[in-house]
Amino acid sequence: MTDAPHAMNRRQLIRHGAWFGAAVGLAVVGGEVISHVAGTADAARIQGRPTLRFAQVSDSHIGFLGKANSNVASSFGQAIDRINNLGYTPDFVIHTGDLTHLATPGQFDQVKQMMTGLRTPHVFTVPGEHDSIDDGGQKYRSAFGAGTRGAGWYSFDIAGVHVIALVNTLNLKKLGHLGVDQLEFVAKDVAPLPSDTPIIVFSHIPLFAMYPDWGWGTDDAAQALSYLRRFSSVTCLNGHVHQLFSKTEGNVTFHSGTTTAYPLPPPGDGPAPKPVTLPAGKLHDALGIREVSYTRGHTTLALKDKALQ
Amino acid sequence: MNVTKLAMAVALAVSGVSHAYLYIHGYQHIPTIGTAFVMQASVSFALALLILIGGPSWLQWAAAALAGGALGAFVLSRTVGLFGFSEQGWQPSPHAAMSVVAELTVVGLWAVSVIGHRLVGHRFGRPDTRYA
Repeated sequence: MTDAPHAMNRRQLIRHGAWFGAAVGLAVVGGEVISHVAGTADAARIQGRPTLRFAQVSDSHIGFLGKANSNVASSFGQAIDRINNLGYTPDFVIHTGDLTHLATPGQFDQVKQMMTGLRTPHVFTVPGEHDSIDDGGQKYRSAFGAGTRGAGWYSFDIAGVHVIALVNTLNLKKLGHLGVDQLEFVAKDVAPLPSDTPIIVFSHIPLFAMYPDWGWGTDDAAQALSYLRRFSSVTCLNGHVHQLFSKTEGNVTFHSGTTTAYPLPPPGDGPAPKPVTLPAGKLHDALGIREVSYTRGHTTLALKDKALQ
Repeated sequence: MNVTKLAMAVALAVSGVSHAYLYIHGYQHIPTIGTAFVMQASVSFALALLILIGGPSWLQWAAAALAGGALGAFVLSRTVGLFGFSEQGWQPSPHAAMSVVAELTVVGLWAVSVIGHRLVGHRFGRPDTRYA
């Protein structure tokens, strides 16, 4: 073996080992420095107190009975505890739909009662398709529709940020749908706003084509987004897909949130998005809540996803 | 100082700066992608420095593998997505374009260096110095 033409002697091995060690050591030190700088930058942002801090929770599916999660009420309760223990009071909490699994009055009553336990001044919701199974969203609007317009859409301003809640789960064929009335609402709603107003849009079904074959998209979202093109910061938050996913298209960033009930498969993994039963002890890693903060002067929102674990 | 090595170190540093900048300015919050960005940046800086001070030639192979991997990840993020993350075109500008150019430069310089070395070695019957 020692006669092989490319064999390395002991001295060469030690020398290369030293170079390798130096590479690993420098990479670790570099990583630490970058993380520290990032942490300092974040801390500086936080020290100036974000202009706005809120939490997102989604797809609680109260009333679901299945192997994928035998107690969705308990996991939703844990999500509420998680939000109540963020270390600050969020300015508001949004629930991005599928509050209930079968839209029964009892399920709406239960989820509404549970959400009164959220320690925040405001809770905002939009319906998921599970919340409007048999009545076009009537029961949902009876429970959560106070102060909304049309079929449950609305907008509000808080800390200089304009927030729009859209309903894209009514008149469903395959994809989500906003409809003419709601598109008109969006156009008129944003028309008087200056272009530097940060915009946050939340809906149940994604406003981007995440996986249209499974209905994970909204057929007329492009029209709504065209009204938002002139704004420098547009962030769209959604539920429905039960998993984290981010995408940027020009000035618009889309963030799908996870669920508090049960995971769904990644896009295209299998014939249909059926609840996934995870091995014992793994479920809570897939469930979670999201913290969102906005600091004036920044074009992007800071998101932090937290598992229920 | 070998010009190829100097150019490779500079290109690596540019790619590292782009990834570090994006990590500090928001990407740290994107699951998995954030970690990948900080690793890409720190390994790029380490390799750039070691190549600059005259490290062995396998460092250039490692640099080419790192740059090639980053280019592959860029393509995936613009097509089928990567760990649930996807972006469009040359966003975020100008860092996407800067890092792609830098990584193509690293891969190109590595290819030139390897091919050139083999041609010269073949022509003049030089001994293999891979482990020198």
